[in-house]
Amino acid sequence: MTQAKRTFAQKLSGFFANNAVPIIFIVISALAIPISGFSATYLIQELLIRIGRNSFLILSLLIPIMAGMGLNFGMVLGAMAGQIGLIFVCDWSIVGIPGIVLAMIIGTPIAVLLGLLCGVVLNRAKGQEMVTSYILGFFINGLYQLVVLYFMGWFIPITDTSLVLSRGYGIRNAISLMNIRTILDRLLPLRVGPFDIGSFHLGYIDIPVATYLVIAAFCLFVVWFRKTKLGQDMRAIGQDRAVSDSAGIPVDRTRVIAIVISTVLACFGQIIYLQNMGTLNTYNSHDQAGMFSIAALLIGGASVTRAGIGNVFLGVILFHLMFIVAPMAGKNLMGQAQIGEFFRVFVSYGIIAVALVLHAWKRHNAIMNARRSLRGAPDKKEAAL
Amino acid sequence: MRSFIERVAALVVILIASVGLFYIGREHKVFLDNKTIEMEGQSFRALKFVRVSVAGKDPIELMPRDRDLLAVVGPSFKLKVEVMDEFGEDVEKTIERELKPGFDKDMMLSMPLLAADRDDYILPPPTGPARPPENDVKPTDELVIPLDAAPPTD
Repeated sequence: MTQAKRTFAQKLSGFFANNAVPIIFIVISALAIPISGFSATYLIQELLIRIGRNSFLILSLLIPIMAGMGLNFGMVLGAMAGQIGLIFVCDWSIVGIPGIVLAMIIGTPIAVLLGLLCGVVLNRAKGQEMVTSYILGFFINGLYQLVVLYFMGWFIPITDTSLVLSRGYGIRNAISLMNIRTILDRLLPLRVGPFDIGSFHLGYIDIPVATYLVIAAFCLFVVWFRKTKLGQDMRAIGQDRAVSDSAGIPVDRTRVIAIVISTVLACFGQIIYLQNMGTLNTYNSHDQAGMFSIAALLIGGASVTRAGIGNVFLGVILFHLMFIVAPMAGKNLMGQAQIGEFFRVFVSYGIIAVALVLHAWKRHNAIMNARRSLRGAPDKKEAAL
Repeated sequence: MRSFIERVAALVVILIASVGLFYIGREHKVFLDNKTIEMEGQSFRALKFVRVSVAGKDPIELMPRDRDLLAVVGPSFKLKVEVMDEFGEDVEKTIERELKPGFDKDMMLSMPLLAADRDDYILPPPTGPARPPENDVKPTDELVIPLDAAPPTD
């Protein structure tokens, strides 16, 4: 009986320990929603838009995690490739769905090259992939700025003078994407509602069906990919590199492929994100793509070594619920919306730090337990029992 | 060898698809110009009142010396021009044409030349405003990196 009680208590504490981040966010959101004063219709509509806007970017992080490469901070490389595609599409005045698809086609080879570079570098920094990819992002950002700020309009022809700085070369700070704005979202529009459930009223809600179909296709791709030979190889490498190598799996090549796939998908994700936003901040848009996507994934309960599709959607809902309600809740509580905004930014970066600390702590514990078990001593948990 | 051929074939398909997307998704700015124009020593006077419909959109009314701009998407579009009397009540002449800008970007259509049934009514688009001199003050919304900024001496 005592043993059973202990097991239940352990299970409960284990559940809370493993899902601490989503639980904290659910509690914070539950408190902030009534304070913000937003209607349910507004919140649901905003969430539906943001899920469509961000999910693809976050899903692109899953494959490197599967291959044991941690959180791919290098996804900003793919975001930059997508932005270069969008700049050309704007210059050539290609509008609508053809514009988005062409931007993806232009961005893909750039993303593949950047992904190859990233993969090769990460293979030389095994075990330190996250910090290496983070710094690589800064390095490639410098190259991106060199190309966009100095080569475009001079070495690379840009015919549309409205895109070019008045000095004659370099792309302007902000590019309007009005010609492709929400084009994917409006491709298959669906309006539902209003709903009256007892005293609860829900107004009209617009669902961007086409965007959700693209995201669903990506989810199916991830599920299918896990079952393929390459996917199984990646999972094996994620479990143990040395064993995989002994089993004849080309570890380095598989890791490079994982990063290339992630970078290309991040390129597509950034294009989907920007078509929804309608404005391209040439020198800033990609900066936050990696950080916010990683924060959202971690908030969804993922870790550096384990992430699934469910974590993506839970994360994007909780993270963006915080985005929506925090400024207004801060304004209503303190009289200043900026307080909520600061809180949101603090939480975004703080959650990444907490996840990394937890990962290091768990890894340290696992190593210590392994050592103890080699010495023949029971591990800590068993000793406690 | 087979793998190489497959890759080349995939590349060719992607290139063809890209060209196709460029062709069907290209937006063209169409300037509608109703100004008196000199062509081959002849003067074609601006029309007193003209109604122009491009690609089935709502018609645009032009008075003498007017110039308007609209955007159309796709490799071809239909143009309908109704030359009205000076009071804008009766249609004196209707001209319908199908234009195929294809890969070209912008164009200007001269209404007086079109009304005269000439084939050279498609003119090059007007050029944009001249660039400010290099030493002009740059707009504040542009990125300016002070490369030669001196470090603070204090």
